[in-house]
Amino acid sequence: MLFFITRRLILTVFLLLLVSMITFAIFFLVPRLAGQNAYELAAQYVGRNPTPGAIKAVEIKLGLNDPLYLQYGRYIKGIVAGIHYNNGPDVSYCPFPCFGYSFRNDQPVWPQLISDAPVTLSIAIGAAVLWLIGGVAIGVLSALRRGSFFDRLSMGIALAGVSLPVFFTGLVSLELFSYKWAIFPNVHYVGITTNPLLWARNLVLPWLTLAFLYAALYARLTRAGMLETMGEDYIRTARAKGLPERRVVLKHGLRAALTPIVTIFGLDLGLLLGGAILTETTFSMPGLGQFTILAIQNQDLPEIMGVVMIASFFIVIANMIVDIMYAVVDPRVRF
Amino acid sequence: MAPLLEVDELRIHFRTDDGLVRAVDGVSFVLDRGQTLGIVGESGSGKSVTSMGIMGLHQGTKAEISGHIRLDGEDLVAATPARVRELRGSKMAMIFQDPLSSLHPYYTVGQQIVEAYRIHNQVSRQAARQHAIDLLGRVGIPQPKVRLDDYPHQFSGGMRQRAMIAMALSCDPELLIADEPTTALDVTVQAQILDLISDLQSEFGSAVIIITHDLGVVAELSDDILVMYAGRIAEYGSAADIFGQPDHPYTWGLLASMPRLDRERTARLVPIPGTPPSLIRVPSGCPFHPRCRYTELVGGERCVTEIPPLRAVRSLGHQAACHLTAEERARQWADLSAGKIPDDAAEPGSAEPEAREPV
Amino acid sequence: MKRRSIFAATALGAMAALLISACSSGGSSSSSGSTPGSTTAAVAFNAGLNSVVNPSSQKGGTLTFDNSSTPDSFDPGNTYYAWVLNFDRLFAMPLFTYKSCPGTCGLQLVPDLATDMGTTSDNGLTWTFHIQSDVKFEDGTTVTSQDVKYAIERTYDRSVMANGPTYYQVLLKDPTYPGPYKDRAKNLMGLTSVQTPNATTIVFNLQAPFPDFPYVLAFPNTAPVPPAKDTGTNYQLHPMSTGPYKFQSYQLNKQLVLVPNTEWNPATDPNAKQLPSKIIMNLNVNQADIDNRLLAGDIQVDSAGTGVAAAAQAKILSNPTLKADSDDPYTGFAFFAYLNTKVAPMNNVHCREAVEYAVNKVNTQTAYGGPYAGGAIASTVMPPNIVGYKKFDLYNALTQSTGDVTAAKQQLAMCGQPNGFTTNLAYRSDRPKETAAATAIQASLALVGIKATLKGYPAGSYYTDFAGAPAYVHSHDIGIAMGGWGADWPDGFGFLDELSAGNTIAPTGNTNIEELNDPVVNNMFKQSNSQTATANQALWPQIDEQIMKDAGILPLIYAKALLYRPTNLTNVYVQAYYGMFNYAVLGVQS
Repeated sequence: MLFFITRRLILTVFLLLLVSMITFAIFFLVPRLAGQNAYELAAQYVGRNPTPGAIKAVEIKLGLNDPLYLQYGRYIKGIVAGIHYNNGPDVSYCPFPCFGYSFRNDQPVWPQLISDAPVTLSIAIGAAVLWLIGGVAIGVLSALRRGSFFDRLSMGIALAGVSLPVFFTGLVSLELFSYKWAIFPNVHYVGITTNPLLWARNLVLPWLTLAFLYAALYARLTRAGMLETMGEDYIRTARAKGLPERRVVLKHGLRAALTPIVTIFGLDLGLLLGGAILTETTFSMPGLGQFTILAIQNQDLPEIMGVVMIASFFIVIANMIVDIMYAVVDPRVRF
Repeated sequence: MAPLLEVDELRIHFRTDDGLVRAVDGVSFVLDRGQTLGIVGESGSGKSVTSMGIMGLHQGTKAEISGHIRLDGEDLVAATPARVRELRGSKMAMIFQDPLSSLHPYYTVGQQIVEAYRIHNQVSRQAARQHAIDLLGRVGIPQPKVRLDDYPHQFSGGMRQRAMIAMALSCDPELLIADEPTTALDVTVQAQILDLISDLQSEFGSAVIIITHDLGVVAELSDDILVMYAGRIAEYGSAADIFGQPDHPYTWGLLASMPRLDRERTARLVPIPGTPPSLIRVPSGCPFHPRCRYTELVGGERCVTEIPPLRAVRSLGHQAACHLTAEERARQWADLSAGKIPDDAAEPGSAEPEAREPV
Repeated sequence: MKRRSIFAATALGAMAALLISACSSGGSSSSSGSTPGSTTAAVAFNAGLNSVVNPSSQKGGTLTFDNSSTPDSFDPGNTYYAWVLNFDRLFAMPLFTYKSCPGTCGLQLVPDLATDMGTTSDNGLTWTFHIQSDVKFEDGTTVTSQDVKYAIERTYDRSVMANGPTYYQVLLKDPTYPGPYKDRAKNLMGLTSVQTPNATTIVFNLQAPFPDFPYVLAFPNTAPVPPAKDTGTNYQLHPMSTGPYKFQSYQLNKQLVLVPNTEWNPATDPNAKQLPSKIIMNLNVNQADIDNRLLAGDIQVDSAGTGVAAAAQAKILSNPTLKADSDDPYTGFAFFAYLNTKVAPMNNVHCREAVEYAVNKVNTQTAYGGPYAGGAIASTVMPPNIVGYKKFDLYNALTQSTGDVTAAKQQLAMCGQPNGFTTNLAYRSDRPKETAAATAIQASLALVGIKATLKGYPAGSYYTDFAGAPAYVHSHDIGIAMGGWGADWPDGFGFLDELSAGNTIAPTGNTNIEELNDPVVNNMFKQSNSQTATANQALWPQIDEQIMKDAGILPLIYAKALLYRPTNLTNVYVQAYYGMFNYAVLGVQS
């Protein structure tokens, strides 16, 4: 197991390097293919009506006139060894891990990522708990009452949940529950350490919006899995032992049906930790997702790289955990 | 002494979109303590449905059950589901055909046995574990303390079945039902398992019902044999009766289609022509008549129109449901056991079975 | 017995409800100690254009701003965004500012840190200013002229300060000064064209006379910066305040919190107020959220100042109560099309005049967002809130707004293209309103036989590579190009110079896209350099009219923005220069 983990971690590092190379390439090569040179690229990071000297100064500061491999090498070296940055009167130093300084506001990227991460974590983990419990519960009940009114109603709602985009559900819920009826007024992010009650209260709508989508998926998945599992022979054996039906359903049926769900959950959560983009933008929550959108809109390379690396890291780690979980959950895989 | 199990006119029907499935249609038998009953038949004869019915495992399905199942005097058909559940696993236990799919793959064998034990007995986990170790040892699994914590897929086929037997016996049941216990196993292992069941039966004193399609299995263990066809009893009697003087063409067919050591190698096996009938459209009259060679001997359309009653012909404990006279039956069996294949054995009754209207 | 008491309670409750709603509806006109000189007004649509709405000197409360994006920088020396220039006056006192009063009064340039409008000598090559002697930074140290000089010096290092205006490098005598970060040897005071003979005097040496120079000093980059406290790229996180408020905390791109600056002396700064006990600005808030929060009263100002989005516009305009709480000012921007004077056949003035007559200006107004959110139909280059605006209409834009086909056809005959001609129309394809306007123009021109082919370009490189590169324009036959303009200061020079002066034509980044090189216009600009700003006020409209006679520009709209003022906002009015509410004087009813 330890060998497995170390091997995977090494692979993770290589994968992250690969991802960073590709992102770097896309950022620079695409405008180059459109015919834009470094000078024109630098013009984006200067104010209105710049003098040519200003554009040139920015081009040199950002190192845009260097060949790509050099820029990339500098970037990777910066992550590992830190960067000395001329902030004007002084030289700043940002230590490992240094994901560079923003092209737009000259501030180090890593602290911004760190300060945004709790927001995304709050949204993602809160919603994840809700959708896992809610989705699985509904799925189990639907499977047990297949064909009943409850089953048809819940699968119908599940269809809606899967089909309606997050920004639609989010905006509608804001319109109704925040502006029309002030049940959740002034939804904005409050840190959990600042005011835990307000933190939770302001997150209810984002949680519900995000969870609605995923719970629908998980309900359908659980239902299908349960229907399959409950027809298995070991369920018959469990009943033959005289176990109460509830234990048969949960401990024997659900336990077996849960395997694919747990693995998908790991992947979904991993993806979401890199930024719940639509949810954060809809509710104006300053997390990694919103950071991603702004970084792209601003064409801010260090910010884009930083957030892509973090998101990739989460996804790769989530994959690794999911693979481990698979072995933990299903003993047949272990040996 | 009252019998342990009395099944009286048990009917188990399933209402489906295609019609009414008469899986078990009037089955009665009796089982005494410590005795073994073998229930024999092809797939679809209703033997598994009967045993599941005894265990109350049709609860929650669309089964319509009528008749009586008296376990130690208590009618299980009339009892509450909670009561039947209490008895399940404790007073009556069941083992199944495929131990790999019948044991939960995610729990260790020990966990599953402990669970079976603790649901009916208020004991500590430690005590239950010890009991499980004892049971595993008793069913012949080496190093039980270690193997307790193994998963089902880590056992060989035979060992798995032993573990399942151990689990079934954990609460010391008075009735053990074994549904095709050896079908999924190698022949050599089959013998071991059957021996085991026999040993445990004498040790624990439980009554056993063995369900199988394999007469060889039944011959070893059973005191009595019940031959089922299309949800009904074709023949019922002691093992000696059934093997010595079978009284039903279906039983003859089963025996004749079995390869035997005491027959000539070149002797032809005589299979039963045709296929088992659909339980929705059970043939009218005698359900076996479409596949029976002897309908002409009976004469007229009697086999088609009249359901033959289950009647004792030779001795009180030996019943068969056939229109042939006792003499005819004796003669035909004598011919068959001498190796004579009937001349008209080629084409059995080719008349289309007249379906009874589904009720 | 029980029933009667319930009845009574309900009646009391109803009365109470009525009383409460009467008190809270439609802003209180209770002027408890209103600022002298301001006019109180009953709340009505556009009341904030010419009067102070909800005047009050009540202190306290938290004033909340939201913005859908971020500032380019909160470092006063590194910003060019209009709303930031407005907002910076809360913590940065530049040499000059615009007078805090409603109406055209707000276009007046007045001294802020400076004591007066300054004196020129040397035929306008030297400007001398004096600054107030008792203005303090937030840490209690007194502001000296050297702090002002340093503030200007640091803007020279473009690798650190990339965003702000670049006037000093163009106007002052040593354009090659590398900035104090690279030139630390000369005691940080190496900019020789600026001198500080004493702590309250500052002298500027220009390359050429420039009567509008005080306008250049109204940018926040003249707000003093103590050299010892300059942290370069990190200064934006906490600039040293000389205004009524100072930074308490700034979470980059998330939230700024300002608290009152105890060192600020209101007597030194009559154009700002210190009323709220806390000011918060939330950044990167979804625009729909901002509009809804404004309407719900959760926040007080949308600091971008560009108005509410379409959904809220519909809500406000259709509801009389909401409409009474909104203002629709000119933003100071104008949108128009350049009619190139070099590309055939547009190089013939009559062909250009045909275009001026033909275009349906109602359709283009609709394309930009209609009369409230888009703007008013324009007939001049300069919008009405610019000093020097004079109303005239050479091409019947106001009288025949849907286009004058007859007159257009006459002009076509006169330029020798009686059946029309073909040309290309450049526009920024990632701007939906501009795209719609270009399409509308194409359609109107088609009615008189002018076939304009649309050519879309990305906004980021429109001026650097395409419409703003005359070589490209010529080689691609771009006779018409869409554009827009907002002046850096509200007089004719700020508005017209870079649009029409012959010497501003540049090979890249060109804003004189019609490539007008009219000696009449050029001479007038030259003349303006040797006159005073006041004398020039008569010159600007003449230049405007000449540009229109030359048909170099086709005016489309004077941009407007629909701004909503929540009822708990006090002292709110539109500052004519910024075209948005004056952020330096706002208060909030707690």
